[in-house]
Amino acid sequence: MRELFAAPAHAGRLDGATLSNVEDQGVRINLYADIGAGVARKLRFQAWGCPHVIAAAEAFCAAYEGRPAAEMLEFSATGLMQTLSVPVEKTGRILVLEDAVRSLGSAASGASNPDN
Amino acid sequence: MAEQQELIYLDYAASTPVDPSVARAMTELMTIDGNYANPSSAHAAGRSSVAHIAQAAHQLGSLLNIDASTLIWTSGATESDNLAILGAARYRRDRGRHLITMRTEHKAVTDPFAELEKQGYDVTWLEPASNGVLDIAKFEAALRQDTQLVSVMHVNNETGVIQDIGRIGALCRAQEALFHVDAAQSVGKVPIDLAALPVDLMSMTAHKVYGPKGIGALYVAARPGVHVEPLLFGGGQQRRLRPGTLPAQQIVGFGMAAEIAQSRMAADLGHLTALRDRFWSGIRDIPGVLLNGDSENGFPGILNVSIEDIEGESLLLALEPLCVATGSACNSKSQEPSYVLRALGRSDALAQSAIRFSFGRNTSADEVDIAVGLYRRAVNKLRSLAPGGAT
Repeated sequence: MRELFAAPAHAGRLDGATLSNVEDQGVRINLYADIGAGVARKLRFQAWGCPHVIAAAEAFCAAYEGRPAAEMLEFSATGLMQTLSVPVEKTGRILVLEDAVRSLGSAASGASNPDN
Repeated sequence: MAEQQELIYLDYAASTPVDPSVARAMTELMTIDGNYANPSSAHAAGRSSVAHIAQAAHQLGSLLNIDASTLIWTSGATESDNLAILGAARYRRDRGRHLITMRTEHKAVTDPFAELEKQGYDVTWLEPASNGVLDIAKFEAALRQDTQLVSVMHVNNETGVIQDIGRIGALCRAQEALFHVDAAQSVGKVPIDLAALPVDLMSMTAHKVYGPKGIGALYVAARPGVHVEPLLFGGGQQRRLRPGTLPAQQIVGFGMAAEIAQSRMAADLGHLTALRDRFWSGIRDIPGVLLNGDSENGFPGILNVSIEDIEGESLLLALEPLCVATGSACNSKSQEPSYVLRALGRSDALAQSAIRFSFGRNTSADEVDIAVGLYRRAVNKLRSLAPGGAT
């Protein structure tokens, strides 16, 4: 978790990309996806929250970049919670990321850039 | 990566390193060549141990300008607070059932008061002004004929705010209420003359002033009506007020730490003031940064700052390798905002973003400069990561 929080390689925004933004549980997350041919070619995030939220957002981007965008519709935070040893009292915050990812998947599935 | 960097300790309000000369004296006393005898023993070695304890009591008494016989050794400030509050309230139960304290006290004070409240005592919980200082007029208005005990801390452990214990104590005397002061953060750090101050009970601890952990003291003024009922039973030590074998090496450590503190208090205060001012001037221009407490009436060893739109736990982690304290309750996994800062009127978000920087004898200007740089970098990083940020 500490490494992902300290050096989040996917932090930032993608202008003109598909966007999902969710605010709940004192957490704010923006997810950006550059979609081409149904694939998430590039993923970026912006997040306000505890270190686990930031690390989880980074972990999601790193894991799903290059994969079919439709997979995001099935995203579950359970695996990330285990990998990052998220304390149980923070479950709600990580579920905000789950909502953001699924929302991104939903938006991406109808937003594939036709010229790519 | 942060683990590879050298830690910078700015948490002296939580604990201090033991002064090397104190540690040496303690170690020497504990081993075969020292004096490890039980001070309750009647033989020569026991009497020698008693002499060491008497010397330590004299050193601490000298720091506070009191007779050494007015000190009761305890395990630390928490026990001293409990003994003072529960012990005095019980001893004076027939005098009245009204007690006064502040919302911003340490848990070692608020919890015993809450316990007394459960037992039927009537507790007035005073809120401070937004700068953390107790409004004397408000305090005077809260005093009643049946007020039997008042407890107000000297230097606040989170904000460094200093209360006017002289004026508060004078009002207590006029009302014949006992006045207890939690001085865990002030003994050995700021001048305290208990011969002149109208204080009846004062709690203190060694490990905040370069002494060992596990030893504290309670001052009980030698004045008619000032007494505490014991909380522990099991021996006749310390006039039956706090039984148990006295830890001579701990007490000697406290005594030496007190003597050292007395000899260098002015220099320490000057050093801390310079460090605090250097740190604050290094971060005060950051947009949204706010000082918690009283900028004009604070102990210079503590600087507590909140910052707008920054999440506290992330800030703390981003500040590594700094060792600092957050505004969150220290024993909570819930990231509950500090009740002290909430009492000062800070919002949950601002209280949660608070960081307490506390400086000490060993803190250098270079370390402060590094801390300033780390704080600025951490804030910039977290703001750039947030939605609407620059990245």
